Amino acid sequence: MEALPLTEPVLLILLSLAGQAQHGYSILKDVERMSDGRVVMSTGTLYGALRRLLDDRWIERIEERESPRGRQAYRLTPHGRKNLQAEVSRMKHLTRVAALRVAMKES
Amino acid sequence: MLRLYAQLLRLYPSPYRQQFEDEMLSVFHELRSENTIHTRCRRGIFYVREIAGVLRGAARERCRTLRGKDLGLFEGGFMMRDGFRFPKATAVLMTLILAGIVIAIQKGEAIQASLPASNPQIGPIQPHSVMLSSIVSFLLIFYAAGSIGWIILLALRKLRVHRLDESSR
Repeated sequence: MEALPLTEPVLLILLSLAGQAQHGYSILKDVERMSDGRVVMSTGTLYGALRRLLDDRWIERIEERESPRGRQAYRLTPHGRKNLQAEVSRMKHLTRVAALRVAMKES
Repeated sequence: MLRLYAQLLRLYPSPYRQQFEDEMLSVFHELRSENTIHTRCRRGIFYVREIAGVLRGAARERCRTLRGKDLGLFEGGFMMRDGFRFPKATAVLMTLILAGIVIAIQKGEAIQASLPASNPQIGPIQPHSVMLSSIVSFLLIFYAAGSIGWIILLALRKLRVHRLDESSR
């Protein structure tokens, strides 16, 4: 699978879009909430990541005719969702191994 | 501050601005008007983070335009990198400088707002028109100097100079 593991901000952006399409402001707030305030991204960082995700077709823009100027929503593409699932599986495996190793050391 | 932010967005390449400028301005405006940043300290942190984010993003996009691909120097890819970080002391120094600039702008705005009321004979001062270009130049010079130092450190690390030093012992 390409481009794994992901950086934490990119992973959080993808997780934010996993449930539903979101606007830039909602993504920032969701990322902050998911990380318990630990990851607070600037708009420059967010849109840099969104640009790269758009270029690699992990996410796509949704056309909203009634949306006010300057508000665009983004959603995961099937390709992006597949990569996100791969990353989550990788992390699950790592967590399992880590738990086993820690338990082994403690016993 | 919205004006300064809009000016800084001009540092991005034109295609990027066409795609994201309105959105970034809109999100910045929403964040700025949030009630969670109404204390001076939090507002200062917010401005520093936003200005640093825009400068870093603009540098990254400019590099990408020149090279035709992401360089990995300014959070270029998705992939997690190893532990090399921008030197903390430099980051702190740059943050302090930016905080000073933000406070100076706020003071300037306060003076601008108060002067005509206390003495109508004195015309309004326009700190933005005088200071904006010099502030942007100042920020760019400091950011460029920091980036050059960072690139040198990264290049030295990639050349594994420290290992040569270890092997000579």
